[in-house]
Amino acid sequence: MTGNNSEVLIKVVDLHKSFGKLDVLKGVNTEIHRGEVVSLMGPSGGGKSTFLRCLNLLEKPEKGSVFFEGEDITQIKKQKELDKIRQKIGMVFQQFNVFPHLTAMDNITITMTLEKKIPKEQAEKTAMELLEKVGIPDKANEYPGKLSGGQKQRLAIVRAMAMEPDVMLFDEPTSALDPEMVKEVLMVIKQLADSGMTCVIVTHEMGFIKEVSDRILFIDEGTILEEGTPEEIFNNPKSERVKDFLGKVLY
Amino acid sequence: MGPGIIEIFKLYYPIFLKGAVGTLKYAAIAVGFGSILGTIIGFIHLSKNPVLKAVASLYSTVIRGTPLLVQMYIGYYFLPLAIPALNALSREHCVVLTMILNSSAYVSEIIRGGIGSVDIGQTEAARSLGMSAGHTMTRIVLPQALKAILPSLGNEYVSMIKETSLAGTFALYELTYTKTLLANKYLIWQPLFIMAIIYLIMTVVLSGLVRLLERRLSAGDRK
Ligand SMILES: Nc1ncnc2c1ncn2[C@@H]1O[C@H](COP(=O)(O)OP(=O)(O)O)[C@@H](O)[C@H]1O
Ligand SMILES: [Mg+2]
Repeated sequence: MTGNNSEVLIKVVDLHKSFGKLDVLKGVNTEIHRGEVVSLMGPSGGGKSTFLRCLNLLEKPEKGSVFFEGEDITQIKKQKELDKIRQKIGMVFQQFNVFPHLTAMDNITITMTLEKKIPKEQAEKTAMELLEKVGIPDKANEYPGKLSGGQKQRLAIVRAMAMEPDVMLFDEPTSALDPEMVKEVLMVIKQLADSGMTCVIVTHEMGFIKEVSDRILFIDEGTILEEGTPEEIFNNPKSERVKDFLGKVLY
Repeated sequence: MGPGIIEIFKLYYPIFLKGAVGTLKYAAIAVGFGSILGTIIGFIHLSKNPVLKAVASLYSTVIRGTPLLVQMYIGYYFLPLAIPALNALSREHCVVLTMILNSSAYVSEIIRGGIGSVDIGQTEAARSLGMSAGHTMTRIVLPQALKAILPSLGNEYVSMIKETSLAGTFALYELTYTKTLLANKYLIWQPLFIMAIIYLIMTVVLSGLVRLLERRLSAGDRK
């Protein structure tokens, strides 16, 4: 699970992002290793989502670089090339963003068949295996409208997994869920993390962060204010801001 | 007062029916071709190119901000002068062309609004999976946008049925033109009421169909 000594999968150098006059990221530097589970923590509005969305260039940073498997993806000009990179960077959103006009099966297979040219039959086989893995094989032919929030999010996770990504980004994957559905989704993410998938996770589930993270980045006002193992962050936070934050979120 | 509505209708119903068919036809031509042109303009408006965007925006603002009747006069008298190529068309065709251009501006807004009504999260999810921009539009956004677009196009057709009444001014054979045809029969008020009733029947029936379509589309939307 700890990938600290292995290959650098993502390297972020001096990342800056602003929206109009608002500077959201003010020079973020970090490395994420293959197999590592990194959690992002920090007050709302601190730039966690923006950071995550810069990693797959849903947001275009003004300055700085994002190296993915050695390549500076901020320099990619060809849209096709960027699409290829994005296939390797799965993302899971707070609002699920499953496709409501497609069945669970088609949600998973559509990008596989369109962009990776995987034969439909093979794509459906893969999709079925994934649906089984997350406990909703019986929903394959249902539309998302018939799924609970937890099921939708599990579908969104396997939809990303179907592209065989090298890293998964989670932006508050359980924040929009009813409380009784949080666990089923966290278990799927835990399973993924345990299987060696590189994960970058934004969540307010402190117990979960403690359990799965190899490293925690505390992001505040657009920079990484502090980083460390769960042990270090939860038991020995250095900065007042982190202490203050933990004091507020830990009951 | 003279003869009543029913007698007049019985006497001249072929004229009224031909007018009604003309109305439906001109409205269909206007909205049909207007939809094709309007879709293109709507997409241009949504594009990232600021110049194209401004042109599309200006087009739709000018057309929607001026009365169709004025546009028709311009189309009838000045379009052939300004664009010699249009001399090949008859004056009547220029009026039809004006209706198409008019409708395209409204359709472009319908397309823009329909696409804008689809949650941005859908596009983000598709792009994050590595889906191309083209496929994201045709496979993810458009199918969802159509739920908003199709009923609005239906409503545009209903509006256009009423708007085409202006075309009678230029001797296009649509429902309102029957008034002119029957004027020499010293019939003033009866044709007006007959026309109104026929318009009402057409718009009520078609609006009902649009509402039906709307309900069917949203029934499929198992959100
Ligand atoms: N698309 C956007 N346009 C303008 N401001 C934005 C946009 N996205 C985020 N922001 C702003 O950037 C700041 C950081 O947001 P975000 O990255 O979502 O923080 P977090 O995820 O840590 O809560 C906030 O002030 C937010 O309002
Ligand atoms: Mg956020």
